[in-house]
Amino acid sequence: MESTLLNIVLLISFALLLSALGISLLRLIKGPTISDRIVAMDLIASITMGIILVYSVLIKESMYFDIVIILSLVSFISTVAISTYLNRKK
Amino acid sequence: MKDLVISILILLGSVFILISSIGLLRFNDLFSRMHATTKATSFGILLLIAGVGLFYSTGIIWFKAAIVVIFIYLTAPLAAHAIAKSFDEKRQNDED
Repeated sequence: MESTLLNIVLLISFALLLSALGISLLRLIKGPTISDRIVAMDLIASITMGIILVYSVLIKESMYFDIVIILSLVSFISTVAISTYLNRKK
Repeated sequence: MKDLVISILILLGSVFILISSIGLLRFNDLFSRMHATTKATSFGILLLIAGVGLFYSTGIIWFKAAIVVIFIYLTAPLAAHAIAKSFDEKRQNDED
């Protein structure tokens, strides 16, 4: 991999996004209530979208953009479904 | 020149997402945590998508980018509202 400006920036962005993933995983494990865990899951889905976007620039494959569309749909539906189900259960 | 703009957009988007995850860890209340994650993450994804769209710069990619950005900005408040509402109802049920 040649060391142009864009490649270096992509690697730095990978490092930033991976540390964001680790930090939100910490909150997912610690989270006092279940709502904190749902917020952390929502953030993890967004971080995954960011990682896929950066990866699609790294390998120059525009097909990966479709995964981001599907992932944004699925993360919204799962968040709403879980938080609705929590109160329906009683 | 184009590479410089793409680099700045992608780096800023990653920094915004990292800041929102730091907010998720550091704040000590559910509503403060949602305040940190919902807005900063939407803006970070917007910047990342703008960078990637500028990188490919074809019509279909700009169309898909507009779809994703509009969808995220429509659904992030809805998801946050659903979480906050369920948390509030659960807290009131526990108090009774």
